Amino acid sequence: MGEWSSARVWRSRVYRYRLIAGRCRSCGRAHYPPANACPYCGSRDLDEVELPRVGRLISYSVVYATPFEDRDRSPVVIGLIDLGIARLVAEVVDVKPGDLRVGDRVEAVFRRIAVDGNTGLIVYGIKFRPVRVG
Amino acid sequence: MALMPERGAGIHGWGVYIPRFRIPMQEIAREWGWPDHQWRALGMMEKAVAGPDEDSTTMGLEASLNAIRRAGVNPKDIGAVFFGTESKPYAVKPSATIIAEAIGATPLTMASDLEFACRAASEGIKASIGLVTSGMVKYALVIGSDTAQANPGDVLEFTASSGAAAFIIGSSKGSAAVFEGSSTYVTDTPDFWRREGSPYPRHGEGFTGEPAYFAHIIGAVRGLMDKLGLKPSDFNYAVFHQPNGRFPLKVGEMLGFKPEQLKLGLVTPMIGNTYNGSALIGLARILDYAKPGERILVAPFGSGAGSDAYSLIVTDVVEEKRGRAPLVDDYINDKISIPYSVYAKFRELIRVVRE
Amino acid sequence: MVYVTGVGLVNVDRHYDKSTRRLAFEASTAALESSMAEGVDFIIVASSISYLHEPQLDLASYIASSMGLRGVRSITVECGEASGLAAVMTAKALIDSGQASRVLVVGVDKLSEYPSWRVYKNLSLLYDTESDAFYSIGLGGIAGLLMRLYMNVYNVDRLTLAYWPALMHQNAKANPYAMLRFAITPEKVLEAQPVAEPLTLLDTFPLGDGAAALVLEGKASRGVLAEIVDVESATGYQSIALSDDPLKIESLEVAYGRLVERTGMGSVDVVELHDSFTITGILILETLRFTERGKAAEAVAQGVFSVGGEGPVVNPSGGLKARGHPIGATGVYQVAEVALQLAGEFPGLKVDGARSGLVVSINAMGSSSYVAYMRAVG
Repeated sequence: MGEWSSARVWRSRVYRYRLIAGRCRSCGRAHYPPANACPYCGSRDLDEVELPRVGRLISYSVVYATPFEDRDRSPVVIGLIDLGIARLVAEVVDVKPGDLRVGDRVEAVFRRIAVDGNTGLIVYGIKFRPVRVG
Repeated sequence: MALMPERGAGIHGWGVYIPRFRIPMQEIAREWGWPDHQWRALGMMEKAVAGPDEDSTTMGLEASLNAIRRAGVNPKDIGAVFFGTESKPYAVKPSATIIAEAIGATPLTMASDLEFACRAASEGIKASIGLVTSGMVKYALVIGSDTAQANPGDVLEFTASSGAAAFIIGSSKGSAAVFEGSSTYVTDTPDFWRREGSPYPRHGEGFTGEPAYFAHIIGAVRGLMDKLGLKPSDFNYAVFHQPNGRFPLKVGEMLGFKPEQLKLGLVTPMIGNTYNGSALIGLARILDYAKPGERILVAPFGSGAGSDAYSLIVTDVVEEKRGRAPLVDDYINDKISIPYSVYAKFRELIRVVRE
Repeated sequence: MVYVTGVGLVNVDRHYDKSTRRLAFEASTAALESSMAEGVDFIIVASSISYLHEPQLDLASYIASSMGLRGVRSITVECGEASGLAAVMTAKALIDSGQASRVLVVGVDKLSEYPSWRVYKNLSLLYDTESDAFYSIGLGGIAGLLMRLYMNVYNVDRLTLAYWPALMHQNAKANPYAMLRFAITPEKVLEAQPVAEPLTLLDTFPLGDGAAALVLEGKASRGVLAEIVDVESATGYQSIALSDDPLKIESLEVAYGRLVERTGMGSVDVVELHDSFTITGILILETLRFTERGKAAEAVAQGVFSVGGEGPVVNPSGGLKARGHPIGATGVYQVAEVALQLAGEFPGLKVDGARSGLVVSINAMGSSSYVAYMRAVG
């Protein structure tokens, strides 16, 4: 459908691939994805921090009302995830929705986020899945 | 004895990724009307299936992160990324750059996708040894990753699976396993191929065996043993390319190895043939358990055809690295069983018309 | 201060036979006729998803031309689901500043143009495409996880939350402009098909088309329906993940605080608020402190916000849930409905003797919030 321009995919690749968050040098808080100013105190004095790859599931929703292109992995689980220094919303994969519990440990995994039609780009990024190894 | 530049290089980190989903052999047999003898003869139980949002690049990245964790290296010190696959997400556009970017090795690094059926990553190891020992790069990352394709209903479907292995190759100093020597054996042998534009490979069935798999692995391994003056009993472990559960046992026997030497590295019965990951996941599993001083033979094979044989000696560093990332067995045991219909959907065997 | 002198409403429905412009025209014509206004200085069009469903840029000028208002000043306002009330705020600012004396505000959007899956995808763009909507949140993914969080944090069961849609359907029965004019039981909400668990289809709004229009004037020369005392707004976090307290809609708290401060308003008699999902309605009630935190669902079940209850009557129109939610038009519907209530002319469930009203419109889960305080005249 041509929604993902090369430039847009390219610009955002680093934070999408590596869980790079913004961190405010003024108030110390982290936010993901990195913004132009701290969402908490408004400071533009920011640096970057790589977020932990393991966190906990605060809440989740099992979404059946998904777009057609995501039907192959529906229902899609959307989770609110606490990574300690920041929270984020992300897709939770590799689990039967019925097996998921609030409080579960989840780990970051590198996945396809979107595939743009038959000829467009493959967009990669981070999703999460329940930790079962180690 | 000839000069052995391999001895200047070693494995600093190893890591694998095996997707969570498994399809049992009975599911495939039932769907396509095979007798159970068919998969039993292949020595298979189940195979790993990549999820709908996974591909060789995503799995390769996960394996790479595990290898980097074990190596404990700064990604900026990785001067080469070799991605061996025969299931490229893009026909044109490297996966190696995506992985290099995601691990933080860009921009001052080499990055290439290699293709030689199931042996591309193995040749990446050999190239890395050269780069490292020549001093051109400090560390190289080699990844073997495939979401192996098979025509639905083809006997190949029992084995073609998904998984990845990755290794950080650097100087032998401080490595967990030192290369002792290597040997490569290549001919033009059309045992298995996939034409441009075709979604699934074709193969010569029995022809993939004697003149291809067996001849090349035996050629490479004998070449290595001759070069190093070693015999099968000098190795604690041997791991060969494993297109099914039987071939590696047979080639081992033909070369004079005992089943005990092969057991640890044989992963295909549990996860299937991960193509570029096949022998290398086996090698990773051996590194998960091997003791310092032990010697490992690893011989990947790629159709077309070629085989490399490497001898590795495990160092005492192996033990401290082991716990830094999940073991191969952790991944093997972490599974969700799926029926054929889900497998067909995940691997896009069902034709969906998109806008 | 501005006066509502005319309103025009199109019933929310699947208007396959009517274009975005036609719907806007019908609502506008009705509003202009009801105000008996002769000409307007400005037309402000509130529209959001029409960009994707019947693509047209600079929509306001084309709508103006198509209804014969060539030469009028026009502005399109796009603030997602809150576009309608944002347009009213813009109109009020123009009137207050003296740049306009009479403004036509028309909100219009269509959700029936495409199959639901495509509408869900487009609606997900109401959320932040760099964070939450980077993923496949579909329809209600964020609302669903907030609902689960709410249930866990406050130990509220699913059935108690189902009293909200039941009340909305009850209220909508008499509203001729509502899309869903039938009663449902709370039990039925739980039995409905899951959309974004734990929320079901009956926790969501129907995909309908609609248009609503207002004539707003600075001087009340003719029949005035109601007065808009003030409109306030605030922006909030890009994602609920950034909020330390995602069960409070921060932008709404700020906007409402500003409104109270500027107007000195006390309690109101009638409220039209933004219940895009059951949980959105509940969180708005609590953010406005109409109940204690965690108690709104129970209060709804006990009839606190029904006609004759202790609280203000909330969403006598049936709300987004049952009247419908044609995205950019919704805020305009809400202002029109409250104006009619305050004038004693609402054609559905009436709030007798209502003298003051509040309109609450937000985008997504509070990327921005708009609130309006309205009063009866005379």
